[in-house]
Amino acid sequence: MKKQQNLLLWKMLYVLIMIGIGYGVYASSKSLSYNWRWERIPQYLISFQPTDIKAPFDGSIESVDPKEHKIVVQSDSGQTFVVTKYDKAIAHTGDLVFEGDTVATIKGWHLGSISWGLVMTLKISAVALVFAMIIGLFTGLARISHNPVLRYLSVTYIEVIRGTPLLVQIFIFYFFIGTVLNLDRFTAGVAALSVFTGAYIAEIIRAGIQSIHPGQMEAARSLGMNYIKAMVYVILPQAFKRTLPPLAGQFINLIKDSSLVSVISITDLTKAGREVVSSTFAPFEVWFTVAILYLVLTGSLSWVIQKLEKRLSASD
Amino acid sequence: MTNPILKDSIIVADSVDKIYPNGCHALKKVSLNIKKGEVVVIIGPSGSGKSTFLRTLNQLETISDGTIHIDDINLTHKETNINKVREEVGMVFQSFNLFPHKTALGNVMLSPMKVLKKSAKEAEAEAKDLMAKVGLADRMNNYPSHLSGGQQQRVAIARALAMSPKIMLFDEPTSALDPEMVGEVLDVMKSLAGGGMTMVVVTHEMGFAREVADRVVFMEDGELVFEETPDRFFESDNQRLQRFLGQVL
Repeated sequence: MKKQQNLLLWKMLYVLIMIGIGYGVYASSKSLSYNWRWERIPQYLISFQPTDIKAPFDGSIESVDPKEHKIVVQSDSGQTFVVTKYDKAIAHTGDLVFEGDTVATIKGWHLGSISWGLVMTLKISAVALVFAMIIGLFTGLARISHNPVLRYLSVTYIEVIRGTPLLVQIFIFYFFIGTVLNLDRFTAGVAALSVFTGAYIAEIIRAGIQSIHPGQMEAARSLGMNYIKAMVYVILPQAFKRTLPPLAGQFINLIKDSSLVSVISITDLTKAGREVVSSTFAPFEVWFTVAILYLVLTGSLSWVIQKLEKRLSASD
Repeated sequence: MTNPILKDSIIVADSVDKIYPNGCHALKKVSLNIKKGEVVVIIGPSGSGKSTFLRTLNQLETISDGTIHIDDINLTHKETNINKVREEVGMVFQSFNLFPHKTALGNVMLSPMKVLKKSAKEAEAEAKDLMAKVGLADRMNNYPSHLSGGQQQRVAIARALAMSPKIMLFDEPTSALDPEMVGEVLDVMKSLAGGGMTMVVVTHEMGFAREVADRVVFMEDGELVFEETPDRFFESDNQRLQRFLGQVL
C-alpha cells in the first residue's frame, strides 16, 4: 500500500514537471510578443472550401438549367461539356468562357497541403522501408557468407553508406545516379532512403543471426534441410523476433530521415510545412503541427511493433 | 562394396582423419563398421573425439582424410547430396536444440513438411503418433521453454524420428539433464533399440551401454582404442580403458 502511494506521488511530480515545461513555452512565447494564429492552421490539414469546376476549353455557356440541375458548355469547335454535379452555378447562360474559368462550385472537403505532405511522407517511408528490409536482409546474409566476394562487397557497402551523411547521399542519388538512370524525384528519394537504411538494417540482421545458437542451424541441417530452408524456417524467424526492438528504432529513424528528401523538392511533410509557413507567416504553429504529425506517425509505428513483439513472445 | 564382410554394414568409416584448421588432430585413422540394426555405444574421456566422430557420420563435421559410407553412399564424394543422406540419419543433441519459436508438435512437423513435402494434415497425424510414442501426447502444444529438459529431449527424438531415418545418432543425449530425467530419455532410446533401429550413441551412461548396446567402442585422444561386446568390454583388462573406467565408475 505504501509503495502505491509513493508511485502516485511520482506521477504527480511528473505531471507538475510537464505543466511547468508547458508554461515555460507559453511564457517564452509571450515574452517574444508573438501573435499566435492557430486558426490559420486547420485549413491546411483539411479544407471545406467549395471546389471549383472549371471549363475544359474556350467557348460559351449554352444553358444553365436550375430545374434539371444541368450546365452545358459549348466549345468554339463544337464540343460540349456537361456539369450535373454542382452546388452553385457561377456562370450564366450566354457567358463567354475561357479554358480554366470557373463554371460552378461544389461543396465537400479535401485534404490541405500539410495533409498531402503527410501522405507523401507516409508513402515514401513505406516504400523505402520495404526496400530497406530487402536490401538489409540480403546484405546481412552476405556479410556472414563464406564467400569472400560477397563478404567484402557487403562490408564495403555498409562502410561507405554509414560513413557519409544521408543529405549528401540524397544529392548524389538525385543529381548523379538520377541523371544517369533518368530517375524521377520520388524514385531517387526512395532509393537514397532505402540504400541508407538498408546498411543499418544489414548490421542489425547480421547481429540477430549471429546471436542464434549454432546448434539451431545444426539441428535444422541434421533434419535434411538445406542452408536456405534452415535460414528461412529456423534461423530468420528467431533472429527477426530478437531484432524487432532495434529494427523498430531503425524504422522510426527512416520516417524522420525522410524529411531530408524535401531538399530535392519532394513535397513531403517538411516541405509542405515550409510552404505553409511562407503563406501564413505562422512558423511556430506550423512547425509544432508538423512535429506532432511526425510524432503521430512514429508513435503508431512503435505501437504496432510493440503489439507484434507481444504476439511473438508467446513462445517465451 | 568390394569387401564381402562389409556387405551388411550400413555405416562404414574407413581411416577417418580430422584435423582442425588450428592444427588440433581430433580423429586419427578411425575405422568402424556398423551393421543394420546394431546399437553401438561410444565412450571415452572428454576431448577424445567421440562426439566429433559421431558428427562426421552426417557431415556436420567434415573430414580431412579417409572415407565414410552410409548405406553405400560415399559421404565425401563430390556428387553426394548431403541433405538427402541427412534425411536418413537422425541426430539427437546434448543441448536438445529444439526450435524455440515452434510448439513441440511444430518442431516435429517442420522437416517432414518442408523437406519431404508432406501435407500439414499428414505431417500432423504422424507427429501426433510420434509424440504419443515418446509419452508426450499431452504436451504437444507447449513451446520448448515450457517443457522440462527430459521432455525437450524426448521431443527432439520424436523430431528426428519424423523423418523416418534408417540410423539415429545420439550425442550425449542425457548429459545436460537433471538426474531424475535421465531415465525417461533412456527408456525412449531403449524402446527404439528394441524396435531394430540402427543407433550410434555417445554417452557416459555405462548402465545403458551394458544393457542395450550390441557393441561398445572406447575412444581416447582421437583414436579408436578398443571395441567389444558389452560383456567382454567391461571385463577387459585394456589398461587405457581400465584407467578411464576407474575415473568414471
